[in-house]
Amino acid sequence: MIIQCENITHYYGKRLIYRDLNFEVRKGKILGLLGKNGTGKTTIINILNGYLQPQSGVCRVFGEEMDKLSPATKGRIGLLLEGHIQHSYFNVRQIERYYSRFFPNWKKEAYYRLIEKLRVTPTQKISTMSCGQRSQVALGLLFAQDPDLLILDDFSMGLDPGYRRLFVEYLKEFAASGEKTIFLTSHIIQDMELLIDDCMILDYGKILLHESTNYILKNFRRFTFSTTTDKPFAENKILWNTGKAGMHWETYSFADADKVKDALLSDGREIIDFWEEKLSLEDAFIGLTGKY
Amino acid sequence: MYQAIIYKEWIKTRKALGLTVFVFAAAGVYSFMKIGESVRSSGLVSMWETALQKDMSMFPYFEYLPLFAGILLAITQYAPELQFKRLKLTLHLPLPESKIQQTMLGYGFMAVLLLVCLAMGSLLCGLRLYFPREIVSASFWNLLPWFLAGLASYAITSWVCLEPQWKQRILNIVAGLALLSLFFIGAKSGAYSPITPYLTAFVEASFFFSIYSITRFKEGIQ
Repeated sequence: MIIQCENITHYYGKRLIYRDLNFEVRKGKILGLLGKNGTGKTTIINILNGYLQPQSGVCRVFGEEMDKLSPATKGRIGLLLEGHIQHSYFNVRQIERYYSRFFPNWKKEAYYRLIEKLRVTPTQKISTMSCGQRSQVALGLLFAQDPDLLILDDFSMGLDPGYRRLFVEYLKEFAASGEKTIFLTSHIIQDMELLIDDCMILDYGKILLHESTNYILKNFRRFTFSTTTDKPFAENKILWNTGKAGMHWETYSFADADKVKDALLSDGREIIDFWEEKLSLEDAFIGLTGKY
Repeated sequence: MYQAIIYKEWIKTRKALGLTVFVFAAAGVYSFMKIGESVRSSGLVSMWETALQKDMSMFPYFEYLPLFAGILLAITQYAPELQFKRLKLTLHLPLPESKIQQTMLGYGFMAVLLLVCLAMGSLLCGLRLYFPREIVSASFWNLLPWFLAGLASYAITSWVCLEPQWKQRILNIVAGLALLSLFFIGAKSGAYSPITPYLTAFVEASFFFSIYSITRFKEGIQ
């Protein structure tokens, strides 16, 4: 097990972020952490790296407690901060020289292979680069470090579609051997669909769902229908976020169409024009968390 | 690996250090030009007499220079670390965190110490060419608290910059100003000599304030 979090409870002031959060990440997996703004995605990354002490609970990375990570373990973790933050007072060459001193298996060529794609000179300061260019510098540094675990906080933030796709392709290549583990968050869920093996969806205070991406894409469906009244449906265990969307009603479910229809009919009203749709990961995310 | 941290600190601070060295050199040259002008206009003996009887400071331009040098160096070193919380990247390096902190603070301390020692040595050596030992000694005691203030201002500004919480940072600024004022009490040359060991001890202790702020940063206090 690469990451283990047990019973994490955390508050910001009086606001509950999580209560008894538990999850694990196995070796070779790419886990995507999804959630609306303010559900605590960055908070988990801070806790994992020992930059935040939760009220209770413990996270272990490579078997070591998060606030006592040894230098050797830190060397096995590549960390990308939200916004591709790096030491922007360095230039392209200086930052490579700086980091190369810390990692014995430093792969200089991996860094310069990415840098060559950018139209920058080796003496260009990072602070003068665009967000996309900075993201490539940060990614190049991570690949040169060749860590066993990559932790990426909102890797798609500020990137245009081209850079986002490039980032995803490089990450897929990096993880292809099955020896590398990636834990990432992103706001752009359509990119995650191409990349992640497992999906953990956070809601306010808890984990809503932790499943393989394939399972979600294969089984989670949207059901659209019409009904005779505008009265809201009663809560049902197999239905997610049932509500009116324009002229029609929508509900989401992991259950098959017959069971969903039975569940809707049990509310005692007529169901007409009932049909089901396959979903992208982004649609599934909306279905699980709601639009608001 | 520690050389790499020193390299990073050097990249951040080299312009500020260059500016400080230039200003110190310019202030030193200007001070000696003023002393030379006074010697030429009123004579060396009269100048000695004024210096001894009126306790005239030979280097008044250096009163606040070390203070500002310490502040400037600490800001250029630590403001980028706290901006966007880059300190996380530094503390994530595969080295013991305490060693990383000590290397960063040690770099700044040594830079200010080297600067003030060189400045103090140059000024006192220059003075010794024209003035007797007593006047040079009086100038040393006159300059010492100001130069110690440079080290203290570096430590206190580091403490303020590294503090993650704004409310606490403002309290640190108020406490820091009060502590720094101890180095600027108007007194005759030599009046500071009994308390100099305490001021030196305070300067050394003030470096632990920053370690405390980094610990708070690590705990995620905002």
